[in-house]
Amino acid sequence: MQVSTTSFSNNFLYEIGQLQSQQTTLQSETTTGLSVTLPEDNPAAMNQVLNLQSEASAGTQYQSNIAQVQNTASTSSDALNSLQSLVEQAGEIATGATGVSSSSTLSSDATQVGQLIQQALQIANTQDAQGNYIFGGTDTSAPPFSATTDSSGNVTAVAYNGNTSVAETEIAPGLTVSAQTPGENNTGSGAEGVFADSRTGADLFSHLISLQQDLQSGNTSAISSTETPSLTKDEDNVVTQISGNAVLQSTLQAAGTVAQQQVTNEDSQMSDDTSANLAETLTQLSQTQTAYQAALESGTMIMGLSMMEYLS
Amino acid sequence: MASRSLSVQQEEMAVSGQNLANVNNPSYADEQLDVSESAPLPTPVGDEGTGIQINGISESRNPLLDSQIQAEDSVTGSLTAQQTNLQNAESYVDEQITSTSSSATPDSPNGLAADLSNLFDSFQSLSADPSDLSLRQSAVASAQQVTAQFTQVSAQLSTVQANLNTDVQNDVTSSNQDLSTIASLNQQIVAAQASGGSADQLVDQRAQTLENLAGLANFSTSAESNGAINVSIGGVAMVSGVSETDSLETYNPGNGQLQVQAQNAGTQITLTGGSIAGEITARDGALASLQSGLNTLASQLITKVNTIYSAGYDLDGNTGQDLFTGANASDIGVNSNVAADPSQFQAAGAPGAAGDNTVALALAQLGDQNVAGLNNQTFSANYAQTVSDLGSAISSVNDNLNTSQAVGQMLTNDRAATSGVSLDGEMTNLIQYQKAYEASAEMITTLNEMLQTVVNMKTT
Repeated sequence: MQVSTTSFSNNFLYEIGQLQSQQTTLQSETTTGLSVTLPEDNPAAMNQVLNLQSEASAGTQYQSNIAQVQNTASTSSDALNSLQSLVEQAGEIATGATGVSSSSTLSSDATQVGQLIQQALQIANTQDAQGNYIFGGTDTSAPPFSATTDSSGNVTAVAYNGNTSVAETEIAPGLTVSAQTPGENNTGSGAEGVFADSRTGADLFSHLISLQQDLQSGNTSAISSTETPSLTKDEDNVVTQISGNAVLQSTLQAAGTVAQQQVTNEDSQMSDDTSANLAETLTQLSQTQTAYQAALESGTMIMGLSMMEYLS
Repeated sequence: MASRSLSVQQEEMAVSGQNLANVNNPSYADEQLDVSESAPLPTPVGDEGTGIQINGISESRNPLLDSQIQAEDSVTGSLTAQQTNLQNAESYVDEQITSTSSSATPDSPNGLAADLSNLFDSFQSLSADPSDLSLRQSAVASAQQVTAQFTQVSAQLSTVQANLNTDVQNDVTSSNQDLSTIASLNQQIVAAQASGGSADQLVDQRAQTLENLAGLANFSTSAESNGAINVSIGGVAMVSGVSETDSLETYNPGNGQLQVQAQNAGTQITLTGGSIAGEITARDGALASLQSGLNTLASQLITKVNTIYSAGYDLDGNTGQDLFTGANASDIGVNSNVAADPSQFQAAGAPGAAGDNTVALALAQLGDQNVAGLNNQTFSANYAQTVSDLGSAISSVNDNLNTSQAVGQMLTNDRAATSGVSLDGEMTNLIQYQKAYEASAEMITTLNEMLQTVVNMKTT
């Protein structure tokens, strides 16, 4: 076969071009550590990476949601524990008042109960770190409880201005929880009210006000027959809320661990899908460079030769 | 006889000179002087040779290889046009995996995939604290980012399509120029051959023009006995003998995407090779799918989000607004009211409850739902599929182009073996011709000396 002068240089350029292209690809893989950068490099891997990226991003968001709910749940837990001790105090006062006839003792107890009502109001209007009222249901922007006082400064009624709904937050795909609780729910359905609920018979403010009034009037029999059992219902209700909060917090912790694990797995899968095998890439790069060098040397050697060199 | 030998050797040298001069001319085919022994003279002792004679100059051209190269040029032309334009689209889509440091997880941070994730994540954030104005602002900003990315990519893809229409138009013009050139060269070749002259140079030019045309549009040829080559494209005769019977023109079938038809015959031509076919294939194939995928995604996003969102209530208890405006990827936008005042984001399911996140949560959960209008995929998965489909289209074009270029290189080598000029071969030939010339000259010198001897015999 005759080898024409141009076919040699054409071939030489074609081969050099192929080797250069290979070198560029391998060089880029070595410097970025990625075997896939564009959709055309590996369409299936790109598809998977985009999906994993979306899932990992959602996983990170779930973690952030969990942290947010945990904050509210923690604020709520503190408030509920304070409330429990407050109710216990009120119960002790009620129990202690049974059989006491000294009006000064009863009056002093009544003053103490008045303070407890004020404290309970303060707890009822607790705000979380973001300034949201946690016992108003979804009506988080205004204090959920407001009190009416008489001329002597005693609270005579406490009104609930919140609602009975709670906002659910997604902490895992399809799994929602809520750290919100309504302060009062007398509808007979939905989330239980912390201070009053028709299903449990709890109605803390009303019971405390009655206790105060009975202490002031010296009606100790009513205290033992009505207020003490009522306060027990209130305490039971708070205890139920506290255990619900504990369950929520442990659910959040578990979901947080799962979400973190999932993000780690997804990140690692993305790395697996796209990472270049450095040992292999460097070896190939070295081989390609050797081939390129050999092609250049042999090419220039052969192209430098011509019959004209030997003709005189 | 010696004198004729001298002139033949001179002519051989002239042909070698011509070959050497065209050593780097890709359209040139190696020429040879066709010689034969001249007719002998009958003598009493038998036929006596009279030397050598020239029959003509021929070139080493293989029409089969030429047509194979033309066919491969068409394939390469089509694939190159597709590759260039689809890679443009790929860069506009901007889904590029990056990894800034060895420990960083590789991801694609700039494209729509990340923007869609951010949108649904910002809805999630908002659902966790729907009264927070900064989270409302962030949700609106994410929505604006998604819409900006949709409209930007859509506009860029439209530009690529518009450029492809311009390319089709330009390539049709170039094809018509090549067809005219071929008809004109046919005319000159027929005239030259009819008068017994050499048409090699014209044939070389015509071969080059045919190869140019092959890069633009695939065609079929048939040779006529008078040296002319007939060219037909898509079954319509464009060059018949010495005349250009038809030409290509673009027409708008109604959707603004130019197609090609024969100007005189008026029939639509479906090209299967050449850059025109590549441009049309890229435009109506992968690019159109990409745009349609993005439009469907945007349109579903607008509908699904607005259906949920419009039933919600903002912080002031207002309802009924849409979050997204527009109908598809080209005109999707964010409602200017909520963009100006994020408190108007309708996150609540009921009025007067700042902590109500019903709508924000439903919007967040929309990200995980399979949408019937998106082949039962989630928004993110559907977009990932669209990007992956574009990647597959480019990857397939890349593979085919590599193969086509390798085949083209092989065919070019085959042709070079037949028609190419070898510098060493021509130099060897030159030495041969020089020696033959010297021998013939020596013969004349010898004859001269013999004649001189005879003349000297008479004078002495």
